[in-house]
Amino acid sequence: MFQIYLPIAEISVNLMVMLSLGAAVGFLSGMFGVGGGFLLTPFLMLSGIPPAIAVATGANQIVGTSVSGTLAQWRRGNVDLHMGAILIAGGVAGALIGVLLLRYLRGVGQAGLIISLTYVLFLGTIGALMLWESVNAMRRQRAGKTVSARKSGQHNWIHGLPFKMRFPRSRLYISAIPPLVIGGLVGLLAAFLGVGGGFIMVPAMIYILRMPTNVVVGTSIFQIIFVTAVVTLLHATLNHTLDILLAFLLIIGGVIGGQFGVRAGQKLRGEQLRALLALMVLGVAVRILYDLVARPADLYSIIPTAGG
Amino acid sequence: MRATFFPPALVIFALLAGVAHAQVEVPPAPVMKPGTSQERVQADISTREIAIQSNFTGIEILIFGSIDFSDARMPTQGNYDVITVVRGPTAPIAIRRKTRVAGIWVNGPSETYPDSPSFYAVLSSRPVRAIASNETVNELGIGLSALNYGRGTPESSEEQSFESALIRLMEEKGLYTEDDSGVVFIGRSLFRATVALPTTVPTGRFLVDVYLFRDGELASKTKGSLEVSKAGIEAAIYNLAFQSPFLYGLVGIAIAVLAGLLGWFAFRRD
Repeated sequence: MFQIYLPIAEISVNLMVMLSLGAAVGFLSGMFGVGGGFLLTPFLMLSGIPPAIAVATGANQIVGTSVSGTLAQWRRGNVDLHMGAILIAGGVAGALIGVLLLRYLRGVGQAGLIISLTYVLFLGTIGALMLWESVNAMRRQRAGKTVSARKSGQHNWIHGLPFKMRFPRSRLYISAIPPLVIGGLVGLLAAFLGVGGGFIMVPAMIYILRMPTNVVVGTSIFQIIFVTAVVTLLHATLNHTLDILLAFLLIIGGVIGGQFGVRAGQKLRGEQLRALLALMVLGVAVRILYDLVARPADLYSIIPTAGG
Repeated sequence: MRATFFPPALVIFALLAGVAHAQVEVPPAPVMKPGTSQERVQADISTREIAIQSNFTGIEILIFGSIDFSDARMPTQGNYDVITVVRGPTAPIAIRRKTRVAGIWVNGPSETYPDSPSFYAVLSSRPVRAIASNETVNELGIGLSALNYGRGTPESSEEQSFESALIRLMEEKGLYTEDDSGVVFIGRSLFRATVALPTTVPTGRFLVDVYLFRDGELASKTKGSLEVSKAGIEAAIYNLAFQSPFLYGLVGIAIAVLAGLLGWFAFRRD
């Protein structure tokens, strides 16, 4: 009764399952300021959606949840527009490269493998680093010391780069090159993995750009809107892999879940948030690694044509 | 549901015009012996047009028909069997095998079958091999092992394992079926067969062939077709996605942004 046929994916899915999936991912998105794509895309593939359609549709869903997430952050003054604009400029360029790279790899027949390996590498490394950092922060705090993720006034190599710009909201005066490069890398990942890229953007902002923690989540989710919108458009145009109906179901669940996520996130402390996110990122990495290493149930598979 | 009968005249014509006419698709010359068997089979399909809409979860179609014994010399003698073949549009299908490299399963060799039916179902009143000789069924292209999928017969065990993987994978998806008892006789002359089209059914024109065998020889044949297409909002989305992909992408983004705005307005507390 609750089955619905998806026109592009060409399969029938359960309406409630897709709404719940959207809601769960939206909740995490609002809570952590990540797009949630690194969870959504693998989950969609597990539900039988062809990988390429999962990637494009996931990106479209992230646009929706990011809009409501950004509005909630915007009201609290947590979005650095200047930084966002630079990140988007890099992100759009990166997205274009990512979509073209994915097309090439699909042609060679190794897209799935490279995507999985990239997932394991990125999620594993970042998850482990974040967990290490947040556990240390929690231990230091328990010992009674004050904790600040931002070490103000401390200069690093970034301050030696040219094209310095002022970012008033972040109270930074740094070169435009690092945010441009970070934006580009995240855009590439967004197009390639069907993720918003928040899981790499947030730590990069904290540890490399040294932005204040309060603007990190808002600025990250703000730039995700634009980068995932470009990714959606590119995939729809070049690969015909966007399923609007599926995206619509995921978005409905996502915007509702996102609102509750923002509130839940405010009740948790920064390092607890980061530890939780780290555990989730590691969990997904392990799951994907398992699929790569475990003997497949069937060694043979039908290579999807056209859509998938 | 719409029932349209095969024009009987066409069936008769096909039989009279006989062998030469039918040879385009099927070369039944060594099989059919005009004069010895003049029974005719007539059949129709319960649904001629299948529209895939948002509530589509697969559909069962009924193929029904009767054997007309009027011209047969000895209508009470002989063993009659019916085989029904439903064929979807042909398309290339590629099969890939994973191999283990440094502990990781990666995509290895692949084989392409350029001329494979996207849907294929054989339903018969008895096992096909028990109804007619291998030679006959191979000539008529009845049964998964009788198809060559746009390639020759497999020469190596490697090619053989790829072809059996193709058949197995398509069977798992419900796109290839062989049912030995799929054709059920009701009395002596009426029969029916049910074919399940899964959710993943391809779109396009499906050909339905109904063969009547008497004592292992093809006695009569009739054909029909059905059309599977997307309809309603499904068709609108599909057409937009492939005909104006840029606009389609923009629509997707617009829906997402709108939903995001609405969600925020609906849930904000201030």
